[in-house]
Amino acid sequence: MDERINDLFEALFALTDLRIIFRETAPMHAFSEEQKANARDAVNRAKDALDRLEGAL
Amino acid sequence: MKIATNIPVREVEESYINIQPIQAAGRLTAEAMKALIAYGDGYSTCDQCRKPFRLDKITKPPIAEFHDALAKFVNMDHARVTPGARRAFQAVSLALAEKGDPIIVSALAHYTEFLAAESAKAIVREVPLNDQNVVTGDALAQKIEGVTKEFGKPPVLVMLDHIDYSFANEHDIKGAAKAAHQYDIPILYNGAYTVGVMPVDGKTLGVDFVVGSGHKSMASPAPSGVLATRDEYADKVLRTTQMLGDVTGRKFGIKEVEMLGCTLMGGNILGMMASFPTIKIRVNEWEEYVKKSNHVIDSILSIKGSKCMSEYPRKHTLTKVDTTDSFDVVARTHKRRGFYFSDELKGRGIVGEFAGATRAWKLNTYGLSWDQTKYVADAFKDIANKYGLL
Repeated sequence: MDERINDLFEALFALTDLRIIFRETAPMHAFSEEQKANARDAVNRAKDALDRLEGAL
Repeated sequence: MKIATNIPVREVEESYINIQPIQAAGRLTAEAMKALIAYGDGYSTCDQCRKPFRLDKITKPPIAEFHDALAKFVNMDHARVTPGARRAFQAVSLALAEKGDPIIVSALAHYTEFLAAESAKAIVREVPLNDQNVVTGDALAQKIEGVTKEFGKPPVLVMLDHIDYSFANEHDIKGAAKAAHQYDIPILYNGAYTVGVMPVDGKTLGVDFVVGSGHKSMASPAPSGVLATRDEYADKVLRTTQMLGDVTGRKFGIKEVEMLGCTLMGGNILGMMASFPTIKIRVNEWEEYVKKSNHVIDSILSIKGSKCMSEYPRKHTLTKVDTTDSFDVVARTHKRRGFYFSDELKGRGIVGEFAGATRAWKLNTYGLSWDQTKYVADAFKDIANKYGLL
């Protein structure tokens, strides 16, 4: 798979993981420490993938 | 935010706690969402479809393996995915019934069981409920006797819901299977509200077919479902085409007639497959979800005048309550009528109850965390307190 395509899916999947955390914490979205860590990890994965993608454009 | 200019983004699950009766256990897992992203294209399952050209034979992605795993999951011999439980009812009805044959269903049967029987030109007869709104094996035996007398032949099939859609009461499937088999009648287990949320063992229950709903209870996109059968009925229900074109002489190999060939050909089956590892784990957490259900119902029952129309204590996360003498008392004089209740719930971030209903209504707490469960339970009491109902 082209690295750029891989990064595209990586970003989409990371944001999907973040989406689930919003679902699990509705309606107040008060994240537990574990959820905060998982959310940060998802955002970082998405950012990294998008950074790589941007660099490869 | 809009998709294609006029389709609003659906953020119900992200923004609210959704207690809608039929949506709770069909909410997708993260993995199913990822499968939809990657496999949403129409015939995406067919990239590597090779001879003999049938969905359940595809090995990349591992669809064949998934079919085997599905059969094992409900402890039956063969499984097929279907576009919803309804198409499974129809496949079995078409395979077993001739015009005018009686099929027995529950007095709480889902309407699609009626339609499935009707599509096979069969005639539905209903097993009555006992005073607890439950179908028993004895009641089924009596009905079989009556139907046999009425039609001059026995019913060709019994379709029975383990948990019904109306009260979500638990019906005596094991007793019914025993009764049906005493008369040599096959029995279909409707697990639309069980397969995917609680353990289901078809052979231990003694049933001939197990039907589940992917979009109702298996965290899968709609439509999706499963039909599992014992060896004994596989040749009938999964029969392959014998039809020959008179001009071309064409014959379509091993396509299964009642399945109409391949069934779920894109994101739906990949969504089912992606959720399956989670499903296998979550069925073992069922008792915890039932506890949460009882926590919410206990809260509603603590409000003076509220009643539980379903079996109580609850054995399921779907429940029908009657708040005619509690929340409906306020609706009678409120300028928003019953919608005041929806407004109050939505203001607290809770949606999914039938908007405007304050008499008999249903809710489903499946999938909620304990924090969310307590939040919902407290919200009902909070509304009651606001209107002086406590």
